Amino acid sequence: MLRLKRIRVIFALLFFSAITFIFINPGEIIPARGLLFFGSTQIIPSFMRMLVYFSAASLGFILFSILTIFFGRVYCSTICPLGIFQDIIISIAKRINRRRRFKYKKQYFTLHYSLFAITVILTLSGFVILLDILEPFSNYGRMITNLANPLIVMGNNIVNDILGSLGYAIVYEIPMLNLNLTAVAGAFCMFVIVVFLSYKHGRLFCNLLCPAGAFLGLLSRFSIYKLKIDENSCIECGLCERVCKAGCINSKTKEIDFAACVGCFNCIDGCSEKSIHYRRRLGKKNDAPKATDSGRRQVLKSSVLPALGMLLPVVQSGSSEGKGESGYKENRKHPISPPGSQSVERFTSLCTACHLCISNCPTQVLYPSFLEYGITGVFQPRMNYDISYCNYDCAYCSAVCPSGAILPLGSLKKEVQIGQVQFVREDCIVVKNETDCGACSEHCPTKAVHMVPYGEALMIPEINIEICVGCGACEYVCPAEPDKAIYVKSNMIHQKALKPETKKAEQEFDGSQDFPF
Amino acid sequence: MDRRTFFKKGLGASLAVGAVIAGKYDNLFSASYPADDLPFDLVAVKGGEPDVMLAAGMKTLGGIGRFVKKGQKVLVKPNIGWDVSPERAGNTNPKLVSAVIRQCLDAGASDVFVFDHTCDNWQRSYKNSGIESAVKDAGGKIAPANTEGYYHEASIPWGKSLTKVKEHELILSTDVFINVPILKSHGGARLTIAMKNQMGNVWDRGIWHRNDLHQCIADYAAYRKPALNIVDAYYVMKQNGPRGVSVEDVVTMKSLLISTDMVAVDTAATKLFGIDPADVRHIQLAADHKVGRMDLENLRIKRISI
Repeated sequence: MLRLKRIRVIFALLFFSAITFIFINPGEIIPARGLLFFGSTQIIPSFMRMLVYFSAASLGFILFSILTIFFGRVYCSTICPLGIFQDIIISIAKRINRRRRFKYKKQYFTLHYSLFAITVILTLSGFVILLDILEPFSNYGRMITNLANPLIVMGNNIVNDILGSLGYAIVYEIPMLNLNLTAVAGAFCMFVIVVFLSYKHGRLFCNLLCPAGAFLGLLSRFSIYKLKIDENSCIECGLCERVCKAGCINSKTKEIDFAACVGCFNCIDGCSEKSIHYRRRLGKKNDAPKATDSGRRQVLKSSVLPALGMLLPVVQSGSSEGKGESGYKENRKHPISPPGSQSVERFTSLCTACHLCISNCPTQVLYPSFLEYGITGVFQPRMNYDISYCNYDCAYCSAVCPSGAILPLGSLKKEVQIGQVQFVREDCIVVKNETDCGACSEHCPTKAVHMVPYGEALMIPEINIEICVGCGACEYVCPAEPDKAIYVKSNMIHQKALKPETKKAEQEFDGSQDFPF
Repeated sequence: MDRRTFFKKGLGASLAVGAVIAGKYDNLFSASYPADDLPFDLVAVKGGEPDVMLAAGMKTLGGIGRFVKKGQKVLVKPNIGWDVSPERAGNTNPKLVSAVIRQCLDAGASDVFVFDHTCDNWQRSYKNSGIESAVKDAGGKIAPANTEGYYHEASIPWGKSLTKVKEHELILSTDVFINVPILKSHGGARLTIAMKNQMGNVWDRGIWHRNDLHQCIADYAAYRKPALNIVDAYYVMKQNGPRGVSVEDVVTMKSLLISTDMVAVDTAATKLFGIDPADVRHIQLAADHKVGRMDLENLRIKRISI
């Protein structure tokens, strides 16, 4: 006979490993496309992406919604990494205390759905804070990015040092540039909460806090096939209730609260009489609500987006040179959102802060924010030019973002201006020390920062904002202290960067003449 | 919060291991290079492919075996600063790098290492410069240089601006250091050739930029002299250097310069580039430091056309 539980466990472990791995992805083993594929299996990021535009990456949402309408919340025990993570904790708990049993509980329906309603309203109003805090995939991503990855990197570096001292160079030292302790603390808090809840109360997180759980729970009320206890063969032994992590089986009344069932099939496997089966729902035909039809999208477009504009002040970037010392600090107040996010407002209203882009950023310039985007943008990534800069030819973040908060750019990335270079002449090494420097211009990929003659024999940077992409290379390398003399001012709405034009270099020597010495 | 502090604290114990083995890096100072008995002070080759020019140039100097002895470990230090393709001439020509490595191995070198402290992301620069695969194909080993842990502190007591550096461990642990720069325009240093290429040997370059870049380049040149300098001038970035914006910045010069004297080779390359060596201040400063000679007219120069 088909053993559903075994199949579920195999699939769960496959997905869990894959989704864990995409947040580690050493040496870009998995290409961006693969990362996006696994990210797209996740129901909420995939839904967010559907709000933005329809693409293959939205199929995860549709596919798993349909699956739920057929068989209930199978997703929660097979695809959701946080769900599987909880199952692992639960199985550890069982090993520690063999006599541990689950009991039927009345579900916290009102609380869960009130929280879900608030989350939905806030999200559609452009405040994703609650969604970011509760969304299971993003939580799991933040745990791997901020808790597991630093440990993996430290382990790698210790191994590298030991091997290195023995004369082997198999691994190499990895810097951990984009670690933000507030994000570590946030991920750790959630880790503790999830571990505690699952250790003590099984899948309570999924039926009390999780927005994906709430949404799929709604759908599963109308599932075509539901798990049912066969009243004739049931001997009321209570084995099924004992193994139900969601606490949704009442063995006394022989009822299963299918909306709370996470589809783990432990009950099917545990029943000595084989009395639990999927049964086609009796009575009326399938009338499952299409919770995410175009009407809802329309709502978002017509009412929410203009509202966003009012709620969050749009600050247009000026295009003049920074004025004096105050310019540097004053102009750096606004965070810079990644290329492809189009504007800070758009980005902060769509990003679920899963940190897939952060953990995969090759230059580690993407950095978890804390309050830079405001309270609703906690842990969403921003560009941090104190630690690194954005590679001109790289558009990795835009290729992997599962929620569509960062849209795919490809080679168009070179034409997006996420911020504008600002030069504070009086802080420049060339002015202060009367010596050559040019580190900023050296690193500039477009020569938006170029060198022009200064005084008798020196060269000083000059900026051309039109071709600046805002990559932050100049700011990152500027050696001026205490304030950098060149920096990038955020474009709250991303602009188009003009393509740099260069004249063909003049050739005096081509190898046919005599050497000029 | 300083991420690096976190990283270092977490690794305090293991870094100490590195410090202990640093003690054995003293062989470089005892090495003597047979520069004085070379037939020429400078070899200039033009008109051929990089490997052909290298072969011709090294032959007139008596072969690379005059510098690389059997069983020695060799460091080949190209410019791999940027994440750009070979035709952009932002990095040393990969064909030249592999030719140098092959010659070293043919001369009996036990190992040939290659690294650069890149400016752009190191993995992308290594890969997209074509140098990583060129090194592997030639039988060399490409080494990382992306974190401070690979660098060891040294002091330059006579340095005018630069008194302390952190140098990559391979400079200290190898027997022969061959500098393989590319000739390019440079926004800060005017040109980057042999002496400027050595900025890729060290960890903190911000100090150099803050404290009179040209003087720092000259100070370090006086401290660290490669056994041989092989200047790639096959493709030359004439403008918008050192990173460049497009292939429009590049001209084909099909040339190669070889010398044990960094000042001489930089002076010749500057003339080849088409500007007055007096305008590149670090060359004059290095000559003042007695790193080498700018008076090309008094040097024994071999000019080869292929």
